[in-house]
Amino acid sequence: MTRKAVIAAFGAALAIFAGLSFYRSRHLREPVVPGPSVSRVAHLGDYFGPIKGTVNDVNVYVLEGKEPGGTILLLGGTHPEEPAGRLAAWIFAENAKIAKGRIFVILTANRSASTVTRLGGAYPPDFTIPTAWGGQKFRMGDRWSNPLDQWPDPEVYLHYPTRQELAYVDIRNLNRAFPGRPNGTLTEKTCYAITELVRREKVDIAIDFHEAELQYPVISTIVAHQKGADLAAAASMFISSVEGFAIGVENSPKALRGLSHREIGDATDAISLLLEAPEPFLDATRGRTDRKLLLTGKDDFVVRAGKRGLLFEKIDEKGWPIDIRVGRHTSTVLQILEIWSGDNPAKAVVLSGVPRYTDIVRDGVGAYLKDPKTIDPAKLFYE
Amino acid sequence: MNTIVTILYYLLTAYVAVLLVANFLKNKKWQDEVLYIIVLIPFVLRLLRLK
Amino acid sequence: MNATTSAALVLAVMVAAYAAAKALKVSTEISLFAAALAGALAGGSGIPARHIVEGAFTYFDIVLIFVTATLFMNLLKESGAAVFVVRAILRRFHRHKAPLFVLLTLLLLVPGALTGAGSVTVLIMGGMAATVLGTMDIPKPKVAAIIFVIAGLSAAAPPVNLWAMLTAAGTNMPYVGFFLPLLVPCVVLALLTIFILGWKSKPVDLEKALAELPEAPPKMNWVRVSFPFLVFSLLIVAGRVFPFSFPILGLPLMFAAAAAAAFILSPIKLAFFKTSRDTIHQLLPLIGTLTCAGILVQVMALTGVRGLIAITTVTLPITVVFLTLFLTLPVSEAVLMWGAAPVLGVPLVLLFNTIGLNPVVALAGMSVIWPLGDAIPPTAIIGRLTTTTVGMKEPYTKFLKYCLVPAVLIAVVGTLMVVFSKKLAFLTVF
Repeated sequence: MTRKAVIAAFGAALAIFAGLSFYRSRHLREPVVPGPSVSRVAHLGDYFGPIKGTVNDVNVYVLEGKEPGGTILLLGGTHPEEPAGRLAAWIFAENAKIAKGRIFVILTANRSASTVTRLGGAYPPDFTIPTAWGGQKFRMGDRWSNPLDQWPDPEVYLHYPTRQELAYVDIRNLNRAFPGRPNGTLTEKTCYAITELVRREKVDIAIDFHEAELQYPVISTIVAHQKGADLAAAASMFISSVEGFAIGVENSPKALRGLSHREIGDATDAISLLLEAPEPFLDATRGRTDRKLLLTGKDDFVVRAGKRGLLFEKIDEKGWPIDIRVGRHTSTVLQILEIWSGDNPAKAVVLSGVPRYTDIVRDGVGAYLKDPKTIDPAKLFYE
Repeated sequence: MNTIVTILYYLLTAYVAVLLVANFLKNKKWQDEVLYIIVLIPFVLRLLRLK
Repeated sequence: MNATTSAALVLAVMVAAYAAAKALKVSTEISLFAAALAGALAGGSGIPARHIVEGAFTYFDIVLIFVTATLFMNLLKESGAAVFVVRAILRRFHRHKAPLFVLLTLLLLVPGALTGAGSVTVLIMGGMAATVLGTMDIPKPKVAAIIFVIAGLSAAAPPVNLWAMLTAAGTNMPYVGFFLPLLVPCVVLALLTIFILGWKSKPVDLEKALAELPEAPPKMNWVRVSFPFLVFSLLIVAGRVFPFSFPILGLPLMFAAAAAAAFILSPIKLAFFKTSRDTIHQLLPLIGTLTCAGILVQVMALTGVRGLIAITTVTLPITVVFLTLFLTLPVSEAVLMWGAAPVLGVPLVLLFNTIGLNPVVALAGMSVIWPLGDAIPPTAIIGRLTTTTVGMKEPYTKFLKYCLVPAVLIAVVGTLMVVFSKKLAFLTVF
């Protein structure tokens, strides 16, 4: 009996410590200081009632200029385990000053996925971006919605409406569930709500921020729906000549379903683009999995894979620091908007205040995160 | 409908957890006892909606 | 200390801890757990409760499938349905070995093909197939080998092949074009297996076999036997045909529904709670292995050991990669199970893609080889499930010996599919 009690106590201790850790990271509140152009903060549930009150009824920051113009949607956190995407969206929400047009920013498109970490992946529960005022902590997140919000999975996932067969786990992958299904799972409903937002707000360009392992063929690139092929090609050309880094262009394949760059473009009038930055933390060959790797992108094993010619992006001992990855995203968006506004003056989106690649690489991401202590707590928002 | 299915899954989880506890209490071998407890942890945390 | 040395040291500590635990007569499951704890300590992570428990969750849904499917099978057995079916098959087929083998092969291939899990084949069909083969005087280790190998092939068979699906998902490849590259080798190899291993079997001595088998309860009939399977099949088919109007049930609930049907239709009164408890007791080594293997994988990822294994494999010279597929794939399966697909499958497929092979056929070839790992330690999950289901008392190595011939055939076919994937690209039509 004593033995049983000791064993049970050991199990209880493990369960309590782990349980507390899971609870804390699931409920970690991330403050957002709305930037100068944020005119209101809507919710995704405003566009599709059935997700109101759910974990994915996320904030939609609406940034409006004095002059009318075009409408842009920025999606961060489609895959929360790709933090440069969320941070780039964060920088727009907290810093952008809009002169013309509107930008809708979602920081955590799949909030459910941001509350869980990958089984077997050994992800840290959170990470901290250093700032002059101390640092801001973010949830690590996963690629897939939290099973606490969507359970069970089918034995095979059939994409709506094409019926393409996908791996069962991808039924919780926001970027495999577009354009979404109104009576579907939480993930499918979230996609449907985003598609509804694009339709109702007459979004001209939807840009989805991502990161990828270096062994993934689609990397350091703009994946463009055919409607946006010229825009993406022009942006890629300008970026490579003036921004200090190179980015490619890929056509959104028609055979692979459920991805935002394919389905939003097909289902709505918007041009859909997806940006990929390199994240060695996601590589299958990565070494020790920790916060340092997440933020510095330095890994000896991934470098070895590169020397063997297995990677689709270069890597050396300098790694891929988070500042470079976030800077690539902000500069790419700024270039896309400049080209778009030049070609479509009536639908222009003109803004300032958002740091470019060189600014973020020089100052660090933290320099562009706002200190929540400096404003009235009633005016803060939380992700 | 999906909500009903999810509730059935929690009931199923609870039932298996009860079976694991019942077997743990009746068991005589220490290795099996340790194993029952390790297997039980995910069931308990899922029921408590912690993971 | 560089990354390779430190990860290698952690790996050495893990192996030493596993070996020490085994030497102290500790079970495989607890030894895996000990290896994980030692690895975490050696990696400087202390006792990382969060990671241990998160790892324990890795195969949670698969544990639920095992529990519900085995409960279903045990209820069928206790109700007398299993023996009823075996008696019927024997009466009908006792004179015709070849059609009997073909029938058994198909019956064994279906459950795994539909669910992607060889364990489901073993759990649903394994017991009955074992009894039938047993009446033909095939020794139990050989029977277990037949069932195990075909179960592995059933998991690889289309439409659902989890290794291919998970790898495809990790390489941005649609899961399209796999049907024939998976179907052809799986069916051919399964038939070869049963005919090779069953070649020396004697024809069924019907009188003797029927006398040895227990009697089925008098009220048992085909409706009572087939209805639970019908429930299960209808639920699977409904999910495929009406995916957008039928609720997502998941395999555990489908098996639970089939179990409920078997319980209600049983001609004799069954002790549901006791059968449930016995099921858990019977499954403890397997669900324990799954849980502890999940913990081990998580600690390997945490400490960089996982990366060390992956990078070492994919940076070998390409000929060596080809020639060692028969080793690396099963070993990765034995340690990581389906986790092998993202860890090793993704880098390997990308490697093959870079050198101009056809990734679909190459991946199909790889996923025919993968299931062989389910028979080898440390986890040996389906191998042990099979020997338990068959009721084999002989040493485990005897079973492995009989697996050898079909395993070599499978490894050769799979490797050739990878090497000549470009020439076989015509198979990827749908």
